[in-house]
Amino acid sequence: VSLVHINIIITFTISLIGLLIYRSHLISSLLCLQGIILSLEAPVTILNSHFTLASIIPIILLVFAACEAALRLALLVIVSNTYGTDYVQNLNLLPC
Amino acid sequence: MNLFTSSILLTLFMLTTPIMASSTNFYKSNKYQHYVKNMTLLAFIISLIPTTMFIHTNQETLISNWHWITIHTLKLSLSFKMDYFSLMFMPVALFITWSIMEFSIWYMHSDPNINQFFKYLLIFLITMLILTTANNLFQLFIGWEGVGIMSFLLIGWWFGRSDANTAALQAILYNRIGDIGFLLSMTWFLSNMNTWDLQQIFMLDQNSSNIPLMGLTLAAAGKSAQFGLHPWLPSAMEGPTPVSALLHSSTMVVAGIFLLIRFYPLMENNKPVQTMVLSLGALTTLFTAICALTQNDIKKIIAFSTSSQLGLMMVTIGLNQPHLAFLHICTHAFFKAMLFLCSGSIIHNLNNEQDIRKMGGLYKILPFTTTALITGCLALTGMPFLTGFYSKDLIIEAATSSYTNAWALLLTLIATSLTAIYSTRIISLTLLEQPRFPPLMSINETNPLLINPIKRLLIGSIFAGFILSNNMPPMTTPLMTMPLHLKLTALMMTILGFILAFEINTYSKNLKYPHPSNATNFSTLLGYFPTIMHRLPPHLVLTMSQKLATSMLDLTWTEAILPKTTAYIQLKASLLTSNQKGLIKLYFLSFLITMTLTLLSFNYLE
Repeated sequence: VSLVHINIIITFTISLIGLLIYRSHLISSLLCLQGIILSLEAPVTILNSHFTLASIIPIILLVFAACEAALRLALLVIVSNTYGTDYVQNLNLLPC
Repeated sequence: MNLFTSSILLTLFMLTTPIMASSTNFYKSNKYQHYVKNMTLLAFIISLIPTTMFIHTNQETLISNWHWITIHTLKLSLSFKMDYFSLMFMPVALFITWSIMEFSIWYMHSDPNINQFFKYLLIFLITMLILTTANNLFQLFIGWEGVGIMSFLLIGWWFGRSDANTAALQAILYNRIGDIGFLLSMTWFLSNMNTWDLQQIFMLDQNSSNIPLMGLTLAAAGKSAQFGLHPWLPSAMEGPTPVSALLHSSTMVVAGIFLLIRFYPLMENNKPVQTMVLSLGALTTLFTAICALTQNDIKKIIAFSTSSQLGLMMVTIGLNQPHLAFLHICTHAFFKAMLFLCSGSIIHNLNNEQDIRKMGGLYKILPFTTTALITGCLALTGMPFLTGFYSKDLIIEAATSSYTNAWALLLTLIATSLTAIYSTRIISLTLLEQPRFPPLMSINETNPLLINPIKRLLIGSIFAGFILSNNMPPMTTPLMTMPLHLKLTALMMTILGFILAFEINTYSKNLKYPHPSNATNFSTLLGYFPTIMHRLPPHLVLTMSQKLATSMLDLTWTEAILPKTTAYIQLKASLLTSNQKGLIKLYFLSFLITMTLTLLSFNYLE
């Protein structure tokens, strides 16, 4: 209902659309994925004045986000190693 | 108020003066060697003052100089304990070092780094004296490590030779294993008696002192080359002859025995440790005597002889006779150092030939060295009324007439006869018969720098036993009565050994060299001990650690179990089940449209 709420929902929606609709580079989709995670984490981290005992939750979220980021970058590196770029139109063959 | 404390401190300080002079220009001149030798001589003379005082008036001293540090309740200070053992050992050690330094002026004459050699010998002497005069275990440990380091530097003196480097490293490694025992006992003393001072340790009555005494036994086994930690001593013959004479015959290798002697109040109440020491010593003395029988390098034979005598000293400690062991240390130093100096004279004169199969006929060519060598060998075997007799015969008598382990006694007796056999081998192969070295050798022994030390040690080898036994105050009641056959045991075994050796010598002189039998191989290869122990345990341990650390932990647990397995399964599954074409954008777009439609429809359906 409040403006902060709407702000966060809009962040989430824009990042979601950005994740699913992109033109040529894979990396922009990964960036948007990071944006989704951010939009989910920011309220939990910042607006935490009601229940301070649960302030471990944003840390755990951040940990998982970091691992995810590492995995993403690893995938990117593998793709980039094989093709030289990260254009999406290259990913049409299963290189097995 | 007398000269006791000042003489001791003056002796120790005088020996450090040449080291302090090593940063000046004097160090580079030719006179430095004579300066060091003279300093040792003067230190010897001054150290006779406290010894004479002790002999006449039984005055012992504890000099506690400088309080270094107090950690909680442990007070460490610089303290010197001048009692029976250290006061009798100091003049002996200084006398022998003086002779060896004079000898090494001749032996190392053509070495460009001779001044450094003398400095190392002096530092070694100082650390040895620190070891013997230490009153607390910390100072003893300083001396202990010091002699170990100097042994390393001196064995590897000719460091261009890879054998010398290996031998030096071997010495350090084996000594280190002994140091573990030393540290164990230090820790035990600290945690149970709250001190490292010998006085307090002997005052507090402990019921079970098994752990520290076994730790000290391990330390002694490492430093004094007992069985299991013995290979470093024959390998240490890679160093120059003066080093072998000083370190590995008289002084350093007795440090381990000295440690056990120092702790005799604890040892005399602990029967199991005595038995262990007895067995270890008996095994050592027999094993190394067997190994000495078929060696071909003269220095190695003498090194094994040293090891055998060290085993004998351990046996004496195991018989609860520390003072007798100490007497044997002092007398053994004389004739063993002399044997090494004679071998050095022979080696140098034959142009660095150390193999006794290539020596011979030196009886007429080097008369003085011959005399000294034969006297030394006879003293070693315990010829009556030479030096060795006064300690060795007493040890065998004590062994045969005490309530002891008969197996250990038997081994010791066999080793005694083997001593005679390898002594005969040395004498007959180096001195007798026809020469086997190349004819153009300029052999002379006219240099007084060579003759005088051997002469002094010769007089020592003949008379020192008598002088020491008559002047050392008796600390235990000597054994007075025993059956005749027990009294003559040592002599009989030695004569048996000599007869056997001469017999074998005469009938194998002119035969063709036979293929070595299994027994000969066992003896020449040192009982296969170095061959097995230097290769098998390191190989096993290293492969085990590689398998554990790299293969099991790194490669398998953290790499292959989950990640690689998952990747593999995914790959195979996706190959099996997929018929995608990789149209990612299409798939994402369809996902988005589906989501939007779902949200809209659920929103408007209510």
